[in-house]
Amino acid sequence: MPTIEIEGRTFEVDEDGFLQDPGQWNEEVARLFAKTEGVEEMTDEHWKLVNYIRNYYMEFNIAPMIRKLCKDTGFKLKKIYELFPSGPAKGACKVAGLPKPTGCV
Amino acid sequence: MRAEEIASKSGQPLVDPKPQDYAPLPPPYDKYEDEPIAELTADQKAKWEHSLDGVSALNLPRPESKEEEERLVRAFLSGLEKLLQKENNWTFLQPLTLSMEYCARCQTCADACPVYEMSGRKDIYRPTFRSDVVRKIAKKYLSPGGKILAGFRGHDIDLNWEVVARLAELAYRCTLCRRCAQVCPIGVDNGLITHELRKLFSQELGIAAAEIHSKGSVKHLQFGSSTGMVKAAVVDIIEYLEDDIEEKTGKRIKIPVNKKGAEILLVHNAGEFMSWPENPMAFAILFDAAGIDYTLSTETIGYDAVNYGVWYDDVQFARVALTHLNIARDLGVKKIVIGECGHAHKALSVIADRLLPGQQMIPRESSYTLLWDIVKSGKIKFDPTKNDFPVTLHDPCNIVRLMGVVKPQREILKAITPPGRFREMTPHGVENYCCGGGSGFAIMGSGNFPDWKLRLSCRKKVQQILGAFQGEMDPSVKKMVCSPCSNCKGMIRDAFEHYEVYPKTGIWYTGLVEMMVNAMVDQEQPFLEWPDEDEDE
Repeated sequence: MPTIEIEGRTFEVDEDGFLQDPGQWNEEVARLFAKTEGVEEMTDEHWKLVNYIRNYYMEFNIAPMIRKLCKDTGFKLKKIYELFPSGPAKGACKVAGLPKPTGCV
Repeated sequence: MRAEEIASKSGQPLVDPKPQDYAPLPPPYDKYEDEPIAELTADQKAKWEHSLDGVSALNLPRPESKEEEERLVRAFLSGLEKLLQKENNWTFLQPLTLSMEYCARCQTCADACPVYEMSGRKDIYRPTFRSDVVRKIAKKYLSPGGKILAGFRGHDIDLNWEVVARLAELAYRCTLCRRCAQVCPIGVDNGLITHELRKLFSQELGIAAAEIHSKGSVKHLQFGSSTGMVKAAVVDIIEYLEDDIEEKTGKRIKIPVNKKGAEILLVHNAGEFMSWPENPMAFAILFDAAGIDYTLSTETIGYDAVNYGVWYDDVQFARVALTHLNIARDLGVKKIVIGECGHAHKALSVIADRLLPGQQMIPRESSYTLLWDIVKSGKIKFDPTKNDFPVTLHDPCNIVRLMGVVKPQREILKAITPPGRFREMTPHGVENYCCGGGSGFAIMGSGNFPDWKLRLSCRKKVQQILGAFQGEMDPSVKKMVCSPCSNCKGMIRDAFEHYEVYPKTGIWYTGLVEMMVNAMVDQEQPFLEWPDEDEDE
């Protein structure tokens, strides 16, 4: 299994860099993964997005659909790309510790 | 290349599909230079079999010992024997046997295969190459005197691990579009042989693409959807869709769920809920406006119409299909209507009929025909000028070639677009080309397989789409590909991203119902969304 080392800590990830074990996730892990996404500092806006995604996943076992994510956080899609340059699915969801999406999505 | 070369122990790929060999694309891509398919990393190469074409779709590990290798080769051979026995393969034995026995090697199918053509005619991608290997192994190892006669008969493939590993990957270089079967003068179905090979690998050797098995049908059975979506999520999403419809249209619509005795159970690919929610929204708006008595299901598995088993495993197939039918039966609906998902059409209609004999089958209908009935009924008023842009239509293989549903979607498009706006691709209808994402490819993304599919399996569709809009390539002229299938939409989305199609040409994609709602006289606001508008929101 591939691993990724961020600031001396090692995580098991899938091929695309998504955390293998969602149970390993905590805020510190989110900060570290954010750095791999080019986000040096997690601002309140970053946390708002990440926490929303995280909570949705914990409740429903999937990532929220992007329309709903935008509506519930009040962020436009463009804004989400500003916060996480690789976008909601590849960037924000990764930082939120979600596994890579599966199925016909 | 001779079929026997598949046994080569060189450890080297049999071919290297290089960009200079690919079939060209039309303008503005006539000078487009493809990047080569990324090489696997040294680490991946050490771990995964890749001696077919340097690509790993399956991430198939090398056997750890000689014994393991021999066990897998034996399992392959006994699996092949089972495929050819009535008691072990009652599902597809007849078409398989006919296809194994009667190929006249005329190679008519080769030119019909988009992967073969677009690769620059690499022999290993020829529909008959794969089948010939299987045929020769069966003749040599499973027919009386086969081993003695093999040399004389020209069947002398030495069955070793290399053959098994390359065949496993080769079973995932075909989208099962079955264009080859369609053009065969004697009806040999090389697509079916590929399917049976995948089945052998899955059911006998436990080898399948992770995206369609462990992260696909297994999740479908465990959570209710291959997306991992649980029942509570669907309930939440449907509520959200109702809110969003109200916001977009000003009208509150109740989306019926688990309604006993409804006439129709409408089943969507759950990927629509997550990636293209406008699609189930549009269905809800149309069905409400037309007064259709229907329901969705939020029962586990009932809200995801996909059935990945149809690509690779009869057992997984049956588990999902039986659940779908039981849910419909419990609701007491008169029929199941299948949303815009081609593989769900194939699974729940054609293959369910074949694999589940004796079941009390509930009638199943394509959404295309029901939508055409809605248009004909006159219950909804459409204003074609609302869809005033060039449009072409993609034909999903499973709905069009396999099931023969050709006319309804065209009649609908003619009714909802101004004269002269709709143009066909060449060729189209039952002679269509696959989006390139068929048989699981749209969602398969391991190793360097995405590179392979974006260059080779979907290249023909990209060529066709560009071809349909020649002369109107100015990106400021917005153009639409109507692609009424979730899987095809996913592949077209990824291909468009890879080739930067929208910024370079102004071509976008959507489903059929979205275009219908966009043309409804009652809709004050446009329903369709174009990508740049979305970003400006």
